[in-house]
Amino acid sequence: MKRIAAFVLALALLLPSGAMAADLLIAQAANYTTIMQEEIIPAFEKATGLTVQATYASTGKLYGQIVSGAPFDMLLAADESRPEKLHADGLAHTPFVYATGQVVLWSLDKKLCSKGWKSAVQDPGVKKISIANTETAPYGTSAMQALQATGMWEAAQPRLVFGQSITQAFQFAFTGAADVGFIAYSSVFTEEGKKGCFVVVDEAPPVVQSGCILKNAPNPDAAARFAEFLVSPEVQAMKLKYGYK
Amino acid sequence: MDWTPLLLSAKLAFWAMALIPIAAAPLAYLLAFGRFRGKSVLDAIVALPMVLPPTVLGFGLLMVMGPRGVAGAAWEELTGGRLVFSFAGILIASLIFNLPFAVQPLRASFEKMDSRLLESAAILGLSPAAAFFRIILPNCIGGLAASSILVFAHSLGEFGVILMVGGSIPGKTQVASIAIFEAVEAMRFNDAFLMSATLIPVSFAVLMIINKLNARRP
Repeated sequence: MKRIAAFVLALALLLPSGAMAADLLIAQAANYTTIMQEEIIPAFEKATGLTVQATYASTGKLYGQIVSGAPFDMLLAADESRPEKLHADGLAHTPFVYATGQVVLWSLDKKLCSKGWKSAVQDPGVKKISIANTETAPYGTSAMQALQATGMWEAAQPRLVFGQSITQAFQFAFTGAADVGFIAYSSVFTEEGKKGCFVVVDEAPPVVQSGCILKNAPNPDAAARFAEFLVSPEVQAMKLKYGYK
Repeated sequence: MDWTPLLLSAKLAFWAMALIPIAAAPLAYLLAFGRFRGKSVLDAIVALPMVLPPTVLGFGLLMVMGPRGVAGAAWEELTGGRLVFSFAGILIASLIFNLPFAVQPLRASFEKMDSRLLESAAILGLSPAAAFFRIILPNCIGGLAASSILVFAHSLGEFGVILMVGGSIPGKTQVASIAIFEAVEAMRFNDAFLMSATLIPVSFAVLMIINKLNARRP
């Protein structure tokens, strides 16, 4: 019994030690996962020698964790409102814009893209249209605004299916469960995204993603360097490659 | 505050409870009394939905039940409607997800039955099918009820699978657990609290009923 207890204790002490080495901990909105993991973080680590860890979740969840005292250095959100709110509540420094995204209409059926997004949405063969949650996901809100601006919101309503995030809206479209989907332009560049066609939804307002450094950041200097790196010409080129501005 | 999601959850749980014996009883019978090759394989397949993460199971169901999957295409052919993103869709997904939770207690109650009853039935010339309906089911009615009510309780809180195949359509597939999740995401904590506060006493009452039935089971 004592031996088992000693073993468990030793395990408990040993296990977390590997994960505590990060010099910077970022709360990142999930839509930006691929570009962060593949490009931005490796480039930053190489340039500075610092190690970066990121937690990827929806902006709403990350916001909730930060308000409850999660030890992140910075929040990189999928919208402008959450960083602004953290700033207004005295939890974060002044927010900055780090990327701008665009809503596109995507479909596995390549015929649907040829006549523009409005006729694709109105096509009688389209039974289900996926869209991200219009209340919590910024890309969902933007897509809804485009449908409203073109007077199609009411008519499209019975055919809409809602993903909890822009990623899930894309999932519904690329499995074919939904015939077309309002997704992020950045998804078009993924492996699955290349299997279908897309049309840019010009009427959808751009999705401005802003970030902020938290007042309680354990590593404020590293966070400031990362914020600077995010708007550098080097990252600018990566953003274009992944469908951001 | 919109109560539709709670009513929808209740409706889903009710139908799952009512329909689960049709799928679970024959499987439990096979596993309890059957002697055939591949029984352990069947046993493992039935238990699979219990082990798989709900989102993984849900993603699999999204593929199979979508219009490009076998079941979804057949459904579209028959009804003209889409199986995923419909109430029938989340009900079928819930039934599959709940199968092991219904089969296990039923099987246990079949196995606990006095085997002399079945032997007498066979000697008196009752066919296995007749014995199932006239001897086994009446004797295991407690186990049947317990497994169905367990499925009811489990369906009330069902989240991951429905998230994947439901599409959160208000009044059709936006059940309570999804509505609560969305309310929290949107920082409508009051709505989330009210809905959760309603679910807790209902779930508690259902669990009390299960415990009562289990205590009485033969």
